[in-house]
Amino acid sequence: MLDTFEILTTSGVVLWSRRYSPVGPHIINSLIRDVFIEERVQLHQDDAGSKPTYRREGYTLKWTTAKDLGLIFVAVYQSLVHMTWIDKLLENIRALFVGLYGEQLKSKPSSVVNCAKFAPYFERQIQDLEQLTPPSTTILTPPSTTDNESADESVPAITLQKLQKPLYDTSADSTPVPTPDTSRPSTPAQSHLLAGKAGPGGKLSRRNKKKFAASTSAPVSSGDEASVKLKGKGSAKKNRVWGDFGAEEEDPSVVLDYSQSDLRDEASEGEALAEINPESWGSRTGKGQFVLKDLDMEMDQIIAEQNAKKEAPASALSGGGLVGSSLGAIGGLFRNVVGGKTLTEEDLAKPLKGMEDHLLKKNVAREAAVRLCDSVKRDLVGLKTSSFTTVEATIRTSMEKALAKILTPTSSLDLLREIQTVNAAGRPYVLSIVGVNGVGKSTNLSKIAFFLLQNHHRVLIAAADTFRSGAVEQLRVHVRNLQELSKREGGQVDLFEKGYGKDAANIAADAVAHAAKTDFNVVLIDTAGRRHNDQRLMSSLEKFGKLAKPDKILMVGEALVGSDSVAQARNFNQSFGPGRGLDGFVISKCDTVGDMVGTLVSMVHATGIPVVFLGVGQHYADLRGLNVGSVCRLLMS
Amino acid sequence: MAWYDEDSWATAAFAPKGSTIAVTFLLVVLLPILLHQFLYRKTTPTTLPSFLLIGPSGAGKTAFLTLTERKAVAQTHTSTAPLAVEVLLPEGHTPQSSHYRSPGDPAYERSRRFQLHDTPGHGKLRHFATTQLANPTSVRGIIFVVDAASVAEEAGLNETAEYLHDVLLALQKRYTGATSSKGPKEIPVLVAANKMDLFTALPPHLVAQQLEKAISEVRKSRAKGLKDSGPALGGEDDSLDEEREWLGEGGEGSFEFAQMEEVGTTVTVQGGNVIGGDGVDVTSWYEWIAAQL
Repeated sequence: MLDTFEILTTSGVVLWSRRYSPVGPHIINSLIRDVFIEERVQLHQDDAGSKPTYRREGYTLKWTTAKDLGLIFVAVYQSLVHMTWIDKLLENIRALFVGLYGEQLKSKPSSVVNCAKFAPYFERQIQDLEQLTPPSTTILTPPSTTDNESADESVPAITLQKLQKPLYDTSADSTPVPTPDTSRPSTPAQSHLLAGKAGPGGKLSRRNKKKFAASTSAPVSSGDEASVKLKGKGSAKKNRVWGDFGAEEEDPSVVLDYSQSDLRDEASEGEALAEINPESWGSRTGKGQFVLKDLDMEMDQIIAEQNAKKEAPASALSGGGLVGSSLGAIGGLFRNVVGGKTLTEEDLAKPLKGMEDHLLKKNVAREAAVRLCDSVKRDLVGLKTSSFTTVEATIRTSMEKALAKILTPTSSLDLLREIQTVNAAGRPYVLSIVGVNGVGKSTNLSKIAFFLLQNHHRVLIAAADTFRSGAVEQLRVHVRNLQELSKREGGQVDLFEKGYGKDAANIAADAVAHAAKTDFNVVLIDTAGRRHNDQRLMSSLEKFGKLAKPDKILMVGEALVGSDSVAQARNFNQSFGPGRGLDGFVISKCDTVGDMVGTLVSMVHATGIPVVFLGVGQHYADLRGLNVGSVCRLLMS
Repeated sequence: MAWYDEDSWATAAFAPKGSTIAVTFLLVVLLPILLHQFLYRKTTPTTLPSFLLIGPSGAGKTAFLTLTERKAVAQTHTSTAPLAVEVLLPEGHTPQSSHYRSPGDPAYERSRRFQLHDTPGHGKLRHFATTQLANPTSVRGIIFVVDAASVAEEAGLNETAEYLHDVLLALQKRYTGATSSKGPKEIPVLVAANKMDLFTALPPHLVAQQLEKAISEVRKSRAKGLKDSGPALGGEDDSLDEEREWLGEGGEGSFEFAQMEEVGTTVTVQGGNVIGGDGVDVTSWYEWIAAQL
């Protein structure tokens, strides 16, 4: 069963919610955080039609958004339950809500939307959709594939028939007509509706029934259960209307009317009546079950309207004609200069392609560039450009925003404070560095060591690269230099080495133990460079992570690398086993690439892990923190 | 018919005819009106005094906004977009500027009106708040909402302190960077210690103390931290130490909120709870808002 359905704004206010069983607010909060803000979760979209899903703590969340109004619709249900109609529900509820309250939302900025009356609409939708799905799909076991298929087939099939409803009016009265009561499955959820129907329905005379059948005959011929129900209700109301006006005397005339109902005109007239009457009459009754029946029609109308609106632009494009299209083009050009143009995907396609090429030129990996452009597109489609801004300028600002968002770290990256916190707990702070061969692991390690020495820390450097000849000696030279420098700056530094050929993980663990004993408060572990797609070399990292238990694992990536950066970052991030990943990136050799700093974006895109340091030169002091603004400016220049 | 003929359109356009005059007159009158309507369709000038709601995620900013707007707290989730609403100061609080006005006075009613700007508190979305801070034209005050229960723990305290440090530093920069000798308008800050109903919440004076201590720490580690990558990446020589600014009295010693008064920012810490079993208690915050209006 559905656990919770919520309609909330992007500013975080829940406009309307319906809960069937308590779900902690943190579930939806984590959806917003992971999906909308950090975009960390790679959404697995099976096929184009279905909505993305997000799983958390045994719950599955499906959502849809109304971008222009800033609305998010979220459905939460237990992952064990397989619900095929959630997509349809989200779609319908969005159409309904936007149709009913769109104006109110647009009119003025406010957190209040009067949508207390939305509940009956929602209930009806749920009931409708629950009936459409075969009961076998809502069992608690994972369903078989056949169930799945049949459910998937049934939903689109019925919607199709609903759309084609007017067509069936022509082929009216040929099939035998089941009464609505029998055609409706008597689920318990439906019981109050049935009770409501008993009033007018029970008192129907035989003739009335006939009339009833005649009026419903049109849609029924389609054999469509849903539309039978709809029409059945419409006509039931009509019966009551006649009854309200004192129908007993008029009964004969009514019968006369409907004896001719074979004629299509009459049938359509009856339908027209049914459309007009329920509204006036429904408002007179004002409440109770009968309102629900009005809702059905109203709901369908709203949904159809919203769907039509969606389809309208497409049809307008095709059927515009020569004059219309050229006028539109001129208007579009004018609007492009002056602003106030509503952006569509076609408007954005070309400039976005240009933007993508621009990013690729800046050494951003294609995957990351495509994702950024997609996020910009999602951001902009349906929006209006502001006064005197072109589409290109709008895309630029949006892209800058997207870049800033992707590069800005979620939490603070203050290394010094972290060291302080860990040392307060009475153990040394362990930082280890990993990376591909030759990216500058040892160099950046000594730069970090220098930075820590400047802050008067006692640093132990562990040479866990036991593979490459000269690695230990290289570190020894660095340590000697740093010792010389630290005489001036304060702080203390030493090297921990066990020679070559030993197991790196054990050396690292020994170094940490040694540091704890000899009062060093920071341990920096250098590791051997490894190719990220070599499974044999990468697998040893898991053991390393378990034995040395680093507080922070930084990966060094060079700014020179191109599209391989994505795979590098991903593979290293996954190599430490479940529950452990990288904590940050050091991007080296930034001084050699000029403004082509796209590697930063690619790496952060691949993993969602922030860039902590940038190496900008050959000296110990050439280590910098990341300035998001300046990187964005370089990328956009 | 050539263009120089007597009855051609070019002659007619310059001839002293009634129709020409009428058309010209209409054009002169209508064009600016249409242009104005086209350009200023959306932007209605808002000169209402506004208050910024800033603070880390999950502190209760949006909840306070809904409480102020509709007198009852709505359920809220993490915000991803800012929200600005027009609200009325609740009954029982008199705006400072209309202290001597009678309640029936239209000016009194007008002065009770203000705007609340809610900003998302998530680390990646703070640029909404910082852009507002960079150019606070109609901002009367900043309400920095703090979760008093999470401040009791190290991680929550650090996050809050860092954000508050950045906000205060932005305010200080605005003051010291002002070109006029008078200095910009004062922007007071209310540190609204929310969630006082929770058992683990610290009392307001402890919240203030903890935050002051944590901000000193932030300032210290910022001073020691690495330089920015900005100039180095831009190809400039960054060996020259650019002037960096430190929060409060040159960044020496321990930080106190009182030091901010020098730069036109009064920091007040008040407790309250937006949601609570024993009812809502935010009167001290409304009093503060009333004092700024």
